[in-house]
Amino acid sequence: MNRRDLLISAGLAPLALQALSRWSVAEAQDGSRIFTLANPTGFPDLDPSTSFSNDGLVLANVYESLTRYVPGTTEAPASVAPLLAESWQATDGGKTWTFTLRKGVRFHDGTELTAEAVKGSIERTMKIGGGAAFIWSAVTAITAPDPLTVVFSLSTAQPLDLIASAGFAGWIISPAAQAQDNAWFNAGQDGGTGPFRIDSYEPGQRVIASRFADHWGGTPEGGFDTAVFEVVEDSVLAQSMIESGNADWTYSLPFDNLEAMKANPDLQVVANPSFENLFALLNTRRAPLDRPRVRQALALAFPYDDVITAGTAGLGTRSRGIVPPGIWGHDPEAPMVMTDLEAARALLAEEGLADSGLELTLTYVTSDALEALAGELWKANLETLGITLTLQPMAWEAMWDLSKADPAQAQDILLLYWWATYVTPYDYLFNLFHSEETPTFNLAYYSNPAFDRLIDEAAALSGTDRAKAEDMFKAAQRMMIEDAPAVFILDKPNVHILRSDVKGYADNPAYGHVVFVNDLSR
Amino acid sequence: MRGLHQRLGWPGAVSLALILIAFGMALLAPWVAPFPDQGAGAPSIATKFLPPSADHLLGTDHLGRDMVSRVIYGARVSLSSGLLIVAFSLLIGLPVGVLAGYFGGWLDEGLMRITDVFLAFPALLLAVLMAAALGPGLLNSIVAVAVTWWPWYARMARAEVLALRGQPYVEAAQLMGVGHPRIILRHILPAAVRPLSVQAALDVGPALLTASALSFLGLGVLPPTADWGQMVDAGRKFFPERWWYSAAPGMAVFILALAFSVLGDALRDRAGGRRDGSA
Repeated sequence: MNRRDLLISAGLAPLALQALSRWSVAEAQDGSRIFTLANPTGFPDLDPSTSFSNDGLVLANVYESLTRYVPGTTEAPASVAPLLAESWQATDGGKTWTFTLRKGVRFHDGTELTAEAVKGSIERTMKIGGGAAFIWSAVTAITAPDPLTVVFSLSTAQPLDLIASAGFAGWIISPAAQAQDNAWFNAGQDGGTGPFRIDSYEPGQRVIASRFADHWGGTPEGGFDTAVFEVVEDSVLAQSMIESGNADWTYSLPFDNLEAMKANPDLQVVANPSFENLFALLNTRRAPLDRPRVRQALALAFPYDDVITAGTAGLGTRSRGIVPPGIWGHDPEAPMVMTDLEAARALLAEEGLADSGLELTLTYVTSDALEALAGELWKANLETLGITLTLQPMAWEAMWDLSKADPAQAQDILLLYWWATYVTPYDYLFNLFHSEETPTFNLAYYSNPAFDRLIDEAAALSGTDRAKAEDMFKAAQRMMIEDAPAVFILDKPNVHILRSDVKGYADNPAYGHVVFVNDLSR
Repeated sequence: MRGLHQRLGWPGAVSLALILIAFGMALLAPWVAPFPDQGAGAPSIATKFLPPSADHLLGTDHLGRDMVSRVIYGARVSLSSGLLIVAFSLLIGLPVGVLAGYFGGWLDEGLMRITDVFLAFPALLLAVLMAAALGPGLLNSIVAVAVTWWPWYARMARAEVLALRGQPYVEAAQLMGVGHPRIILRHILPAAVRPLSVQAALDVGPALLTASALSFLGLGVLPPTADWGQMVDAGRKFFPERWWYSAAPGMAVFILALAFSVLGDALRDRAGGRRDGSA
């Protein structure tokens, strides 16, 4: 039966071929003008109206929004900077926003940026209503009184300049492309104004984008001609690509390998705090996790420090509630649940679940080493409490489908990362815990009218009375810690690995997993 | 041992010994492993990623677990999945082959065409597809491999039965009016099973290799159960700085698969020699 052995090796050969074919792209042109990004996931949706995932990496280089968020530094607080809008003004107590557009901006198809195009773009996104379209929910009307002026009318006062800086759903699309459907965009065509335009797209493989010569910002000195977004799901391949110079940028490599990479003179390892955190959503619609005290017991049994030490090489930090530091509304005084197996045991006993042989299922993404480690360590702790945690690694798509099933049939616990759509605490609290008819990201299936009211009111106030809104958001976070629909694990460090000859890299935590290739040079 | 090595040759005897040792370790894992709780999956963060030393002969993994213990516990999964794959495959393949060979005609045609359909797919590809459809888990991966494995036994069983069907003692039984079930069970099956069982025993090696390939691809056992294929995959991410993580389970798979292969050759040589002599 040697034929079988042959077949096993034959089965692995395509993997090797795939690896080789990636390099042929880089060899075709002068390598120094090409910036190759090894991205650990595919790009699920390249439609700028509905994109709400890792596709943001591509779109942020191809499209532009009205404004851009600039993170705070030791010298200056965070601010919102002009991008396609040159200036803006809020009137009517924050309920009317007037944006003045930049002159001489051209779309990739040659047409000029007009107020009508901005109106049409946001209206298309709102009309489709998918992805992150909720960021525009307060907008009641958009008008274009002259070619360079757009006026937004809102139902409640909102910081629209900040909202317009979102990494999703804020992209401005050319009028011709606005008429196209989702399939058109996902066939590798774009309608942006950004410094790069999409040349070709092979789903699951790569996006190749080349510099747009007529970009309003011109070409920075030493800027790259081509950006190649390679999908490299295997972290081992990604690491060998960056080490050998076949990729210029990557992230999501095992934290344990960072020390060795820091010592490598060919690489720069950039670690920054991020707006991204890891947490476990507990199925609040399914016994016994429908009881808050059982959920609290699970939170008490979580090995926070061990996961941070072993899983992030100590680079992660404990979460205090769902809103990470650096975002307004973060609560540095929020109570932090400490690992305490005895307290967990006592709580379970009070709930009649002492050594009950309880069985729970945890789902997480197969390729995610940190999630796997968190699961394994949690499982070990729960075992001492007589709870069997079944670890169920799954492909993201399968995990997503399962989580959309009837909550009574879905997983008990799910590990998830979140990063800001735009910089507001509402984004975290609304997407993850606000009641939903059909859950999108509220995968704890949590429903609490008092909580909903609190954050909705806080959101309505955030344009006018920021201090009060902040207090309400903090109260809402404490409510979530107390009621424990989720276990808040850690705030993730943002670690990017670049070739050391790449200049100009600056991390912007508001755009998770995004690098703006236009800022870079070699 | 002297008799054994004469019959199998030194390589065959050594291989057999290695296989028996592996089975012994798998059976006695809780007593043989230096850190049985770690072998079963208990983490020990303080000893994370230690290189091989006197305390940990093969080092420790990303959760600080002793690799010797993990490899020994992994033998349980690998060997039992090898055995179960072969057992499940026989369970399907043997009846199909015997029925097809004995009754012939349209039944033979029908069953063998179904068998051909399964054989038409590359084995590992089909196993990966099946495992992905069933979801991860030890039993699922065993079923997935067995689905690609049974047609071989069906074809072998059919060939044996075809030869046996024309034997005078079978024809005599038929003429005496003995019923089909009895002829199959009493006269055909015992004779057909013997050559198949040798082949099946030797197939445990390749079956184990395929199961390891599946778990290497993330389609095998669920953590924290130790499994060689899954351990190689987990360790790969830390290679080459922590080479021992992948190397220990990798060597275990290599040695065991090689042992089965060498033993198989030894047994085949022996069988071949005897057949020539008696012909």
